[in-house]
Amino acid sequence: MTTPLLEVVGVTKRFGGLSALNDLSFDVAEGEIVSIIGPNGAGKSTVFNVITGLYPPDDGDVRLRGETVVGLAPNRITRAGIARTFQNVHLFANMTVLENAMVGQHCRSTAGVFGSILRTPRVRKEEETTRERAKECLGFFGSRLAGYRQDQPAFALSYANRRRLEMARALATDPSIVLLDEPTAGMNPRETLELRDHIVRMRDELGLTVLVIEHDMRVVKGVSDRVVACDYGRKIAEGTYDEVANDEQVIEAYLGRRHEELG
Amino acid sequence: MRSAVRIGSSAGIVTIFLAAVGLIGNFTNLNLIGDQVTFAGVMILIAPLIGGYVVTAPKVESGSLVRVDRGRAAILGAVTGVVAGCVFAAFVVFVDVFGVERIRAIFINISPALMDFLVGGRPVPVAAAILVAIAVVAGVAGAVYRVLPDAIRKPVGSAVWVTLLFGFLQRIVPIALDQLDIERDWLYSKLTGGLTWVGAAVVAMVAAGVSVLKDRRGDAIRRAVAGRRSREAEGPRLTPLTLAIALAGLAAVLIAPHVLGSVISEVLGTVMVFALLGLGLNIVVGYAGLLDLGYVFFFTLGAYSLALLTGATLNTFVGSTEPVIALGLNFYVAIPVVVLIAALSGVLIGAPVLRLRGDYLALVTLGLGEMIVVLVTSPWLEPLVGGPNGMRDITNAAIGNFGFRDPKHFYYLAFAFVALALFVSWRLANSRVGRAWTALREDEQVADAMGVSTTAYKLLAFAMGGAIGSIGGALFAVKIGSLTPASFTVLVSIQVLGIVILGGIGSLPGVLTGTLVLVGLPGLLREFEEYRLLAYGAALVAVMLLRPQGLVPNVRRSRELQEEDREQDKWASDVAADEHVAAGASPLGESAG
Amino acid sequence: MASSGAVSARARRVGGFATLPWRRIILIILGATIMFVVVVGSYRTLTLPEAERYSGDFWVDQVVNGIGQGAILALIALGYTLVYGILRMINFAHGEVFMAGAFISFFFADAYVKSGFLNSNPYLSLLILFAVSIVGSTVVAVLLERIAYRPLRNAPRLVPLITAIGASLFIQNAFRGFFGPQPYGYPVPDVLAGSIELFGIPVSKVIVLVFVVAIVSMVVLQAFVHRSRTGRSMRAVAEDSEIASLMGIDVDRIVVVTFIVGGVLAGIAGVLFSLTFQQVQFTMGFKPGIAAFTAAVLGGIGSIGGAALGGFVLGLLQAIGPPLLLTGFSIPSPFSIRDAFVFLVLILVLVFRPGGLLGSGDAEKV
Repeated sequence: MTTPLLEVVGVTKRFGGLSALNDLSFDVAEGEIVSIIGPNGAGKSTVFNVITGLYPPDDGDVRLRGETVVGLAPNRITRAGIARTFQNVHLFANMTVLENAMVGQHCRSTAGVFGSILRTPRVRKEEETTRERAKECLGFFGSRLAGYRQDQPAFALSYANRRRLEMARALATDPSIVLLDEPTAGMNPRETLELRDHIVRMRDELGLTVLVIEHDMRVVKGVSDRVVACDYGRKIAEGTYDEVANDEQVIEAYLGRRHEELG
Repeated sequence: MRSAVRIGSSAGIVTIFLAAVGLIGNFTNLNLIGDQVTFAGVMILIAPLIGGYVVTAPKVESGSLVRVDRGRAAILGAVTGVVAGCVFAAFVVFVDVFGVERIRAIFINISPALMDFLVGGRPVPVAAAILVAIAVVAGVAGAVYRVLPDAIRKPVGSAVWVTLLFGFLQRIVPIALDQLDIERDWLYSKLTGGLTWVGAAVVAMVAAGVSVLKDRRGDAIRRAVAGRRSREAEGPRLTPLTLAIALAGLAAVLIAPHVLGSVISEVLGTVMVFALLGLGLNIVVGYAGLLDLGYVFFFTLGAYSLALLTGATLNTFVGSTEPVIALGLNFYVAIPVVVLIAALSGVLIGAPVLRLRGDYLALVTLGLGEMIVVLVTSPWLEPLVGGPNGMRDITNAAIGNFGFRDPKHFYYLAFAFVALALFVSWRLANSRVGRAWTALREDEQVADAMGVSTTAYKLLAFAMGGAIGSIGGALFAVKIGSLTPASFTVLVSIQVLGIVILGGIGSLPGVLTGTLVLVGLPGLLREFEEYRLLAYGAALVAVMLLRPQGLVPNVRRSRELQEEDREQDKWASDVAADEHVAAGASPLGESAG
Repeated sequence: MASSGAVSARARRVGGFATLPWRRIILIILGATIMFVVVVGSYRTLTLPEAERYSGDFWVDQVVNGIGQGAILALIALGYTLVYGILRMINFAHGEVFMAGAFISFFFADAYVKSGFLNSNPYLSLLILFAVSIVGSTVVAVLLERIAYRPLRNAPRLVPLITAIGASLFIQNAFRGFFGPQPYGYPVPDVLAGSIELFGIPVSKVIVLVFVVAIVSMVVLQAFVHRSRTGRSMRAVAEDSEIASLMGIDVDRIVVVTFIVGGVLAGIAGVLFSLTFQQVQFTMGFKPGIAAFTAAVLGGIGSIGGAALGGFVLGLLQAIGPPLLLTGFSIPSPFSIRDAFVFLVLILVLVFRPGGLLGSGDAEKV
């Protein structure tokens, strides 16, 4: 059996006395789309923060292609191939849309101080590549982030476009796996549908692996190869959408607090 | 109406303040135009004038901007003036009744000269009434200025301030004109020192004319500027016009010392040194967003290491002695070494402290700046750097027999380095490195998550900033030829910070403008030396409150600081996030949990 | 709070290995150097030949002076800590608030000594001096808050800091403009001249006064913060100003009260400082200001007890540190680098223990 692309092994994370994650394990195979679901406060975003190096786990391990990334700085983990978006969009608000995406390419380029000052042919070429690659990533979302918008500051974008830009920026880091934290939060039904297609296209067209935290069950149903359900920082179920959706524990977890979300 | 009373009394108090610090009493003889318009007179008018202007500001009522109509504006201005005048007149009456000398025993600047100027031999009630009348005129003028149509307002405004500026520059412009052999007695009176009325009229007309012309072309220019700004990321485009302007500017800069003479060249040399410091700090503060309050560290390091590397000697009572380390390097060999030392120190001192949150970092750097000053002063390092006596016989950076100590020559040496620093800053700003810095400044944690090594780029900013600042220090040493610790104080750090902030954080033209205003002007106006730091402090506060993007803003930076409504909601949401970021970016959270 | 603890754990961990191992190395070298200087320096200082060695009395004097100055620093530090607790902002101009009170009280002290009132009614005149100084400092503190800080309440952290630096420069130079650049000699009433024996140690009366007044002020402050309604509101705002305002607390008022309390303490410190050093000048606020800030950080900024503790510890360190550590290395006149010593402490605390001695535990935070 081949090593999964991403493995989360027995991760525990405590905040003070509170366990946000409790011996959580799952893995994601190359080319898979896996959704993490769970009620609010189930520790979903914490998983992302642990994987991307924002928080160190108190216990357990996170492996990318079999190699541990625990202890690496977030920027190293990004370079290793894990890209992410944030639950409440975090853009470089005053940089232009294009520049935001170009920052994503930072870890794939090398120009240093002297190269930048002298603007050597190599640096110039690299800058050109960076720009092209950034435009390509923005182009993934069709006309939404194209044309004049690329020269606008990010804060001028609509909410949905900010979310798209954040994803484009993540794509621009040339990752092997993207972690999307509630990508459809705050979007209207049409935008949500569009985004569902984008997630599938990320895998089919870009060959990426996707790990997504999602509340909207239509999206989860539409994109997921597998679903991991969490509650109180533990995994309570794992399997196909149908298996998880009919799991006793999952239903209870949701009915207990937020049953409307299964509708 | 209530706001008129409030603003009027503030204006009155400001005028009292100006009198108490001596800005009126000490300058009753500083004539600006003829012998009627004096600096002291302007000081009396300025607060009610601004008050009248402020009180008539358009208000936002139920979502739309309501302008004040003319009649009402005049009334508001008059009320502001009356209140301001009464407050100030009450002060004058009080001083007169209580006795100037008794007050002067405490407030040293409330002097008989001040009272002579304000009362002028008239009975005190009459003098007070005149002061109120003056304030009313000023208040109305300020208010009317606000409601004038643009076509009149702008030329009038620029005529007034340019004329006053020329009156103010009476020590500079005549010297330059003399140097150029231009007859100037019609413009500046030898008798009063200031502008003649004929000269003032000419200056005012020229200023108004330029303003009208500029306004006609305004739209075209504005469009051009907007176009340029949108392309900013790709660097400025060279059109024939901008090329011509740039060449003319360069030519003017190159012949400046010969036109302006030694005195002004001397000041311009200082301006260049501070421009270098400003450019260096701009990388740290403006590009990477790290507030460094101890920039004097690199200034000192540059000056002293150059001195040591090029074989300067120690000052003693009887002459000079060799320091413990004396290398006889050539200036041009020593400079790269100085730069290297500074960059390395930047990394070394940066490494332990860069994880600190912004305001803590600021205080640590302040501490480092203070420490190096104490060290070069201390008897402990006296055998190396001369302690309080300092060092002398510093190289004049000669090429062959051509030395650079002479202010006119030094100007060119410094200009070469400023040009280099400008080039480096500009190239870095528009590169992968600059992008990483911007990302870091905007959101450190996200930049990290997007693959930017925050620590490395912070250190890089420190090293680059330090390197440029150390050149400033080295040039300073060449310029004055000897070093004493008195030149290296925390005030240098604050001054350079003021330059970067007043000019516009992150903006290269801003740094140059800031240096000219904050270093050039005070350097030329010696009689205001005492008030330089007061003005600095006021300028720092005012810029942060009123125009945080600075005089010549960097486009992106101004967005960051200006977009009020967006910022408000961003700040609000940041407050929550901040606690996380703050703790994440620094070990500060370590014991907070 | 939970999350910040978590993030800090990350800082600890990642700071180590993969990212920048040499950062850790620099820290270790720095730490080792300091240990070396402390151990070897003190050893050599204490084992100097009899003739060159400091006498026991010298050290006792240093300790007594250190406590006296520590008490003053503690009072100023409380102002930093209170404002930081409420606004999360470093009030860089607080040193000037302290200077203002001291300077204004000087003119009264000067008038009283000339009229003989100072020595005929020493206790009354001291009370008046304190009152005047408190009023002066408080007025400056409140104006500062109203004009310079309030409009920037929600601005990014560095904006009010820059404003504060500007305000500090402005206040200093305004005082220079009002009263002139020269230092003035501050008169001390005769009742405070000389010293008294305490536990067999001669202690100058001024230091006794400093200590007693400082302790009383701190006790009153503690009672105010914990017992009074306003004090409770202050603690609520420090905890979470948004929620506090939802609970009907007028945050603006609490901020003003905080600046007033800071001003009162700075005013008291102003008189105590002037009596100790017998001199006032427009620049006098800068160094005690920085030292007090260091004390606040040393104790754990945001914590009242921490500021008090930090003040005393720093006062002692400042008095004992330079002669103890530097004399052993035959560094001449160790006191000349006393100011640098304060900064060194500030840097070391921030680098090695940014939470301060007491940490900023929630319970203590105001």
